[in-house]
Amino acid sequence: MATQVQRTANPVPELAPEREVRWPKRTKTKLANGLEMILLESHTIPKFHGELYLRSGNAAAAARGTALAEMAATMVRTGTARHSSREIEEQLRGVGADLSLSAGQDNSAISFAGLSDHAEPLLLLVNELAREAAFPATEFERERRQKLEEVKLERTQPGFLAGERLRKVLFGSHPYAQISPTEEQVAAYTREGLQEVYRGFYTPENAILVLVGDFDPSAMQKVAEGVFGDWSGKKPAISEYAKPPVPKGRRVYLVDLPGSVQTQILCGCHAITRNHPDWIRLGLANSLYGGAFNSRLVMNIREDKGYTYSPRSGVNPLRQYGYFSVSAAVRNDVVAASLTEIFYEIDKLRSIPVPEAELFDAQNYLTGVFSLGLATQSGLLSQISTLALNQLPDDYLETYREKVRALTPEDVLYAARAYFDSANMQVVVVGDRKQIESQAALFGELEVFTAGGSRTA
Amino acid sequence: MKPLQIPIEHRTLPNGLRVVAAPDSTAPVVTVGVYYKIGFRLEPQGRSGFAHLFEHMMFQGSENAPKMQHIKLINSSGGVLNGSTMYDVTNYFEAVPSNALERVLWLEADRMRALKVDDENLRNQRDVVKEEVRVNVMNQPYGGFPWLDMPPVAFRNWANAHNFYGDFADLDAASLADVQTFFRTYYVPNNAVLLILGDVNPAEGFALAEKHFGNIPPGPPPKFADPGEPKQTEERRGQVIEKFGTLPAMAIGYVMPPRRTPEWCAMALLDQALHGGRAGRVYRELVLEKQIAVEADGGIDDVFVYDGPTQMTTRIFHKPEISSEDTLAAFDEIIREVQEKGITDSELEQLKVKWRSDYFATLEGGRGGHMPKYGLMHLLACFTLFDGEPQLVNTVLDGFLSVTKEQVLDAARKYLLVQNRAIVFRKPVEKSAQEAA
Repeated sequence: MATQVQRTANPVPELAPEREVRWPKRTKTKLANGLEMILLESHTIPKFHGELYLRSGNAAAAARGTALAEMAATMVRTGTARHSSREIEEQLRGVGADLSLSAGQDNSAISFAGLSDHAEPLLLLVNELAREAAFPATEFERERRQKLEEVKLERTQPGFLAGERLRKVLFGSHPYAQISPTEEQVAAYTREGLQEVYRGFYTPENAILVLVGDFDPSAMQKVAEGVFGDWSGKKPAISEYAKPPVPKGRRVYLVDLPGSVQTQILCGCHAITRNHPDWIRLGLANSLYGGAFNSRLVMNIREDKGYTYSPRSGVNPLRQYGYFSVSAAVRNDVVAASLTEIFYEIDKLRSIPVPEAELFDAQNYLTGVFSLGLATQSGLLSQISTLALNQLPDDYLETYREKVRALTPEDVLYAARAYFDSANMQVVVVGDRKQIESQAALFGELEVFTAGGSRTA
Repeated sequence: MKPLQIPIEHRTLPNGLRVVAAPDSTAPVVTVGVYYKIGFRLEPQGRSGFAHLFEHMMFQGSENAPKMQHIKLINSSGGVLNGSTMYDVTNYFEAVPSNALERVLWLEADRMRALKVDDENLRNQRDVVKEEVRVNVMNQPYGGFPWLDMPPVAFRNWANAHNFYGDFADLDAASLADVQTFFRTYYVPNNAVLLILGDVNPAEGFALAEKHFGNIPPGPPPKFADPGEPKQTEERRGQVIEKFGTLPAMAIGYVMPPRRTPEWCAMALLDQALHGGRAGRVYRELVLEKQIAVEADGGIDDVFVYDGPTQMTTRIFHKPEISSEDTLAAFDEIIREVQEKGITDSELEQLKVKWRSDYFATLEGGRGGHMPKYGLMHLLACFTLFDGEPQLVNTVLDGFLSVTKEQVLDAARKYLLVQNRAIVFRKPVEKSAQEAA
């Protein structure tokens, strides 16, 4: 349906002419030690935001253990050659900074934000963490225990269990199949093993520093060069893993949580990576399907039928492979009804060209929301990071909106047919087996698992 | 350090609607919010959860924008929207490219003027809200801990003590008549503030506000029930069974001083001394040093905005091999130390730098995620509704930055008292009982 102006005394106002969207200039350099740096000015608040990315994550260490990069990242702030955990935390507070360490499948990151008038001390601290983490033995034992409790807790969360099962189904023996370690794997972590991951991954040749905020770029450039210039280290060797086979046929995986008062549905299939030429048209198809509040799936199973609070779909790009997924936490008695609608809306988008007016609305949504990122330092940081990590063209931000506007109903049809792989969609349901098994079994051959991950009859 | 000079202009329309504009042309984006001075604290008795259910109804259709049009019009203008229900206010907000400003104002005015919803809309949103409660509370480990567990233990006045998400029986009992009564009572222009932030010329913003909201009739000023509590004389305790998680947990809440007092500023910094991340005393002592807890955090829920009894709450998830008594004793030791020795000069200095930094972060983004200026909007709204002084956003920081060590010590001695607190224990269900279930 189009956004129709109504013939009443009080019609919807038309949109005014658009003000030009102008992206701030980026300064991109590479230091002699291999560190890539991207700087961007944004004077919204007297602060700056940054990321130090290391282009290796859990997948690159998968041969040595599960989620090792993540555990190494957790350890980094617990002590360096020069400072104890407590000193590090107090220094951060003293310069008004927030800092976190994380690692996913493909990257590790030190993320930080602080006051512009305390920029250099914060960068010095980031540098110290990237180069001199000491992995103190007592801190390691404590963090490992915390991790153990965390992985136990995950097994009680329907959203986690669904995500874990889908990744196993889609990626088989590839590292992308493992989203979290088992208790046994955590128990097997060693301090030395983590240090080895840290030494290999945290090197300037493997790093990208992105800084966005209230600073003069040439002055900031000098400060950052002074701080990181004498860091040295090579890029780690790239680990190769065999391509996971794409699952054929629709199959259903039920994770049994007895007594559950709701069922978590998660469906998925292989799709594409972030730098694939089809990314933008797939993004538009996703936004029409379930990627926006105004999308077909949300209007159907939430606003029309009231089955769920938060249905959504998304394209999840990992570096080597991407996948499309649809999720909804629904009432136990409408599992089959919800899946029927999920597939109905997919199949509809795959078979009937989207009406021009609806397409136009979705294009406006994507281009508008894209420019909201301009208004905050964190929004800009996230946009610039996406470009840097996926090696997207320099003019990506400037040309994205035109590319979205140029898309046609045929593009959406193409993307839906190519990547919303209805016939081979894998279906995960997490809930009370007694209440949902017969409903789920209508959608394909069914396997049942415990929350612990083992298969049951 | 330059004083803050966020440009702010402020008008009151003849119907009592307050309008605040905060222009900033950095990006061609405008954030619009409408705040109503009613939250779940003062929703009708026998209708727990109603303020939140009502918030959902505000997206279900108004006089000229039938169901689905609100969402469709904002998304198709390139924007995002949402609403949220808090203790003392409810907000509706949009961030859009600035060429959609008039359209957004038209929509907000349309639903302030007349809500047009039917039984089918109410049934639909009641179902959606129940799934929201299931996904966030009933089907999650530690769901609702402690925000739903604490009120019935800590408070005696129904306003503060009831289930804010709503008992399902109360949600089922809610009728269309309740919806319209609530709307007529609280959703009048003289009980609201409209905020326009970002790429707007204030004069044009005020003219558009006048054009679309100006002819909405005011209502009688809403009468608000008294949220006051009888004087507490001893510690209160309660227990809730945890069905999923295996770690025993507890939440300790102390009632805070009233807003806009020197004690309020001192307490806010003391809160940060205790709960400010990994450098905070609670995390440092319980997790990092004594290693009693696996996780510990806390704080004052929405420190700038409360209009009734409010707590600073500490959450502790501790190792099962350590008893609740020993865990609480270790927590009490932290409190005792701060009451005996206060905090150090360098600690106070660090806390102020961090507070300033956090304040700027709040102004830019705040808890709205990708919603630019959500935090600035929130502060402007609340300083207008509760204080009649939107300009406070430029000066409120000064009060926090001039807090002394002595004031922090006094606040610790006056407010962190056993007879001023409540404790909820979240106790994992016994394994055998779980298997039998």
